[in-house]
Amino acid sequence: MTSTSLAARPGPPDERAARTRRLVARSVVGVLLALYGIVSVYPFLWMVSAAFKNQIEVVRGGHLIPDDPTLSTLVDTWNKLHFFDFFLNSLLVTGYTVVLTLVIYAAAGYAFAVLRFPGRGFLQKLFVSLLFVPGITVMLPIVLLENTLGLLGTHFGLVLPFVNGGAPLSILLMTGAFAAVPGELRDSARVDGAGELRIFASVYLPLARPALITVALLTAIPTWNEFLLTRVSLNDPSTYTLPLGLQTLSAENVPHYNNLMAGALIVVIPVILLFLSLQRYFVNGLVGAVKG
Amino acid sequence: MAPGAVTEAPAAGETSRRRPRSYEALTGYLFVGPAVVLFCVMGLYTVGYGFALSFATWNGFTPNWKWVGLDNYADLLWRSPVYAPRVRNAALNTLWVMISAPALTVAVSFPLAVLLNRVRRFQSVLRSVYFLPYVTSGVAVFFAWQYILQPDGAINALLGSVGLGSLQQPQGWLGNPSTALPTMIVVTVWGLVPVAMLLYLTGLQSIDRSVLEAAELDGAGWWRTNASVIWPLVRPITAVVTLLNLRESLQGFQTFLVMTNGGPGDHTNVLGLEAYRLAFLKQLAPTLGLASALGWILFAAALVLALINLRALRSRT
Repeated sequence: MTSTSLAARPGPPDERAARTRRLVARSVVGVLLALYGIVSVYPFLWMVSAAFKNQIEVVRGGHLIPDDPTLSTLVDTWNKLHFFDFFLNSLLVTGYTVVLTLVIYAAAGYAFAVLRFPGRGFLQKLFVSLLFVPGITVMLPIVLLENTLGLLGTHFGLVLPFVNGGAPLSILLMTGAFAAVPGELRDSARVDGAGELRIFASVYLPLARPALITVALLTAIPTWNEFLLTRVSLNDPSTYTLPLGLQTLSAENVPHYNNLMAGALIVVIPVILLFLSLQRYFVNGLVGAVKG
Repeated sequence: MAPGAVTEAPAAGETSRRRPRSYEALTGYLFVGPAVVLFCVMGLYTVGYGFALSFATWNGFTPNWKWVGLDNYADLLWRSPVYAPRVRNAALNTLWVMISAPALTVAVSFPLAVLLNRVRRFQSVLRSVYFLPYVTSGVAVFFAWQYILQPDGAINALLGSVGLGSLQQPQGWLGNPSTALPTMIVVTVWGLVPVAMLLYLTGLQSIDRSVLEAAELDGAGWWRTNASVIWPLVRPITAVVTLLNLRESLQGFQTFLVMTNGGPGDHTNVLGLEAYRLAFLKQLAPTLGLASALGWILFAAALVLALINLRALRSRT
C-alpha cells in the first residue's frame, strides 16, 4: 500500500474554490461547444430562413426569422421548377447505385474474406489502389467511354462509375465484416449440405447486416450529392438529378435566392433524415474505413 | 515450433480436405467476378486510356489522336505561354489551400474533440450537429454559403450588428480578390472538421484512463495533460487526418467550381478546377490531352504525399 500522493489532497476550505472553478470551466466548455454548433449549422439556418421568404423579402436581406413566412416558395419550387422530377431522378440514380453496390461488393467481400483462390491478395490490393487515383484523372476517360458505349446521358451511365468508385471502401468494409464471422458456422452449414451460395445468403449476409447498412449509407449520401460527373454527363433537363436542377436555378441571370434555398432544402432534408436515423452505422463505418 | 510445420490455417485445411480446392477457387472467382469486370471497364480501362491520352492532342471529335510525346506535360509545367502561367497560378492557390486547410482543420477539430469528450449529457446531440456539414456536403450547402457571403448577405449583416462593421466586405466575401481564397479555405475547413473531429473523439475515448490518472497524480493540470500527454498519444490520428485533408485539398475542387468558378479573375483557380476546365469546357479546342496530363500530375503529387505520410507514420510508431 502506498500513501504518498494522498498528502497533496485539498482541505475543506479549498473545496469551495475548487467547485467554483469547476463550474466556471464547465460553462466555458459549454459556451465554446455551443459556439461551434452555431458555426456548424449557420448556413443551414439561412437556407431554411430564405426558403420561407417571399421574393421581395429575400432581396431585401432582412432577419433570420422571416417577417412574413410563406410556404409558397417551397411549393413553387417543388411544382413549377420541376423539383419533383429532379427528386425522382435522384432517387432512381441513388437507389440503383446502392442496390448494385450491395450486391456486387457483398459477394466480392465474401470471396476475399472467406474463400481461398489464387490471385486473391493481388486482386484485393488492386481494388484498394483505386483509392489513390484522383476522380478528375478518370472523369474524362469515363465520359468518352460512355459516349462510345451509348450510355452517356443515361442514368445507368452514371450508376456504373458511381458503383465502381465506391469499390475500395465497400470491399474494405464488407471483407472486414465477413472475416469477423466465425469459420465454424460455415463448416457446420457445410456438414448440413449447404452450398456456397446458401451459406453466403443465409449465414453470412444476415450476420453482416450492420456492415451492409453502413455501406448503403456511405454509398447513398455521396451519390445523392454528386455533381461533377453528373454535370458533364447529363444533357436532357428531364433526366437531371437534384444537384443539377439546383445548379440551373443558380445559373439564371439574377438567381432567386428564395427558390434556390428552397431547392437546397429539398436536397438536404432527405440526407439529414437518413443520417439522423442511422447515425450509429454511419459513425462506425467511417471510423472503420479510416482505420482499415 | 517451426512456423513451416503448420502451413495451413486450420479452417482452410479442413475445407480443402472436404471439397476439392479447385471448386472453392471457381466459386471465389464467380463471387468477385462482377466486381472485377466493372473494375476492368470503369477502372483499369479508363486509367489506361487517360494515361495514353496524356501523350496526345485531341479535341474529342476528330477521328484520330496526334501523338506528341511529353509535350503536354512540358506545356503545362513550363513551356506554353498560355497554359503554364495558369497552371502555376492554380498550383500556388492549391498550395495555399493544402497548407492552411489541414492545419486549420487540426487546430479546430482537436480542441473541439477534447471539449466534446468532457461533456456527457449533450455529447451525442452535439456530435450530430457538428456532423451536418459532412453529410450534406454538396452543391446545396455551397449555394447556402454563397448566399450568406453575398454583399448584402448574413455574414456582413452579422459583422455590422456586433460592431465589426469595418470588416464588412461591400463587394461580397467572394467578390473581393483578396478575401476570396481565404474565404474558400474557411468553407473547406468547415467541411473537413466533422470527420477529423470524429476521429479525434474516438481516439480520445480509447485512451487508457490509467494514463490520464497517472498524469493527474503527477500534478499535471488540464492544459498540461492535453498538450503533453494526450496530443502525443493521438499523433497517429493527426497523421491520418492530415493525409485525408491534404488529398482533399489537392484534388477537391467542387466547392470552388460551384461557389466561385475560379474567380474573381482566377484568384481562386485550383489545379483540379483547371483540369476540369481543360477537359470539359473548351468546346472544340484540342485540350483533352492537356487535361489528362494535368490529371496525372495531380495523381503523382497525391502519391508522393501518401508516401511521405506513410513514412512519417512509420517513423513514429
